[in-house]
Amino acid sequence: MSGERFDFDPALKKALGENTVPDLPEGFADRVVAATEGRAPPLPQQRTASSRWRTSRRLAIGLVSAGALASAAAATGVLEELGVDLPSPQEVWSSITGAQPAPAPSPSPPASTAPEPVPDARAPVVIEGPIDTPEELEEAFRRVDQRREERVDTRRSRVDQRIGERIDARRAQGLPAPTQEQEERLSDRLDTVRENADARRAARIEERREALREDVEAGGEITRENFIEADRTRLRNLSPEQRRDRLRQWRERRQERLRRLESEGANASGSDPLRKEDDANPPSNDPNGSSQDPQ
Amino acid sequence: MAGSPPGADEASGRPVGDDAAVLARIAKRDEAAFRQAIDDHARLLHRIAYRMTGDAHEAEDIAQEAILRLWDHAPRLAAGPKPVRIGAWLTRVATNLAIDRLRLSKRMSNSEVPESADAEPLADAQMESEQTHDAARALIGALPERQRAAIVLTYYEELPNAEAAGAMDMNIKAFESLLHRARAALRVAFEHKEAAR
Repeated sequence: MSGERFDFDPALKKALGENTVPDLPEGFADRVVAATEGRAPPLPQQRTASSRWRTSRRLAIGLVSAGALASAAAATGVLEELGVDLPSPQEVWSSITGAQPAPAPSPSPPASTAPEPVPDARAPVVIEGPIDTPEELEEAFRRVDQRREERVDTRRSRVDQRIGERIDARRAQGLPAPTQEQEERLSDRLDTVRENADARRAARIEERREALREDVEAGGEITRENFIEADRTRLRNLSPEQRRDRLRQWRERRQERLRRLESEGANASGSDPLRKEDDANPPSNDPNGSSQDPQ
Repeated sequence: MAGSPPGADEASGRPVGDDAAVLARIAKRDEAAFRQAIDDHARLLHRIAYRMTGDAHEAEDIAQEAILRLWDHAPRLAAGPKPVRIGAWLTRVATNLAIDRLRLSKRMSNSEVPESADAEPLADAQMESEQTHDAARALIGALPERQRAAIVLTYYEELPNAEAAGAMDMNIKAFESLLHRARAALRVAFEHKEAAR
């Protein structure tokens, strides 16, 4: 204590100097150290930004992130990661007509382990050449439905399995995980989403099939090109983002197939029917709309 | 403290770099480093708190709480972009705690001195003095809490005005104005006390 900076009267300085401080009690440090035990962590620092802006910013970040994740999922082939084979038009047509598909390997290893659906050998109707009779058309529809059912079942069971694995992993790591009740609610919601998707797809398919039936009844023929053309029309109705996604997926599949063909010593000069077809019909899929519907 | 070398902590006299090391160790829950911080700073905090509150138990409590807050916030302080001087940080915390408690006790008891030095500071100071038989305590106690803090930090603890202003979260101009008023109020209180004898 010094009074150089304070032009106080000496008497005042003396009076102030009498304001002495007692010593800290013994064991003060021990008490402080002991008090650290079980002390709650401090609250986070106060934020200075307004909450409304913060909320809006979070929403914007969430939307952008969701979009980026969705694009990334499409680009990286989440369905392929799930082991779901996205068939080429050639494969689809083969399954419809019962013809042997081109000897191309499946684009992803898990899909190669999945049982490959085969045309029903007991089907009484044989489709030869273009589909030009109602019987052949209905048989084609039946085979498409059969193949779709198998694929959808596979895809959904793998999605369910993946969800269960993630929840188990979170529990194992001690992270928050849904309760049994929440899991049931989640399952119910998923079922609802799937039922709605099924209904939308069924309506879309039925509309398209009606048009095909009318064509056949009018004496027309349904060829692979007809099917693909129908899908091209559908593609034209896609948004630019969806179209870009499809194109990106198609390029990835094409690259993957080319790599496989090259690695197997196949002739990559352009004579491969699968490649030619894929090149001609970039983002095309199941003409009956089954291959890329969200599951 | 006034003679601490530039760049040294006002309380401990150690270079700020040492403070960073101690803080980093406290952040890692090193008890020895925490004890070192207590040894270095507890007396200073206790002095500030005692001179501001005039209550030994309250002062001990404030010193303890300030040091525990150092323990709590050490990880954040150690990870911060700017070096933290432990003494200055603790002084600010203790000063604010003391001001908060003075305000709280004033609300609770309604027996404190007026917020500003009014025309009758002597009466309050005199009553305080008669009750506590401690003239010096009464002089300080007659000041509003922020003036009290300014006097305690600059006169008793000899902190430079800039340091004291930082401890009170004030800019230097505002602090100097506060200190000027505090000095004037102290003189008036003392003169009245002397005149009343």
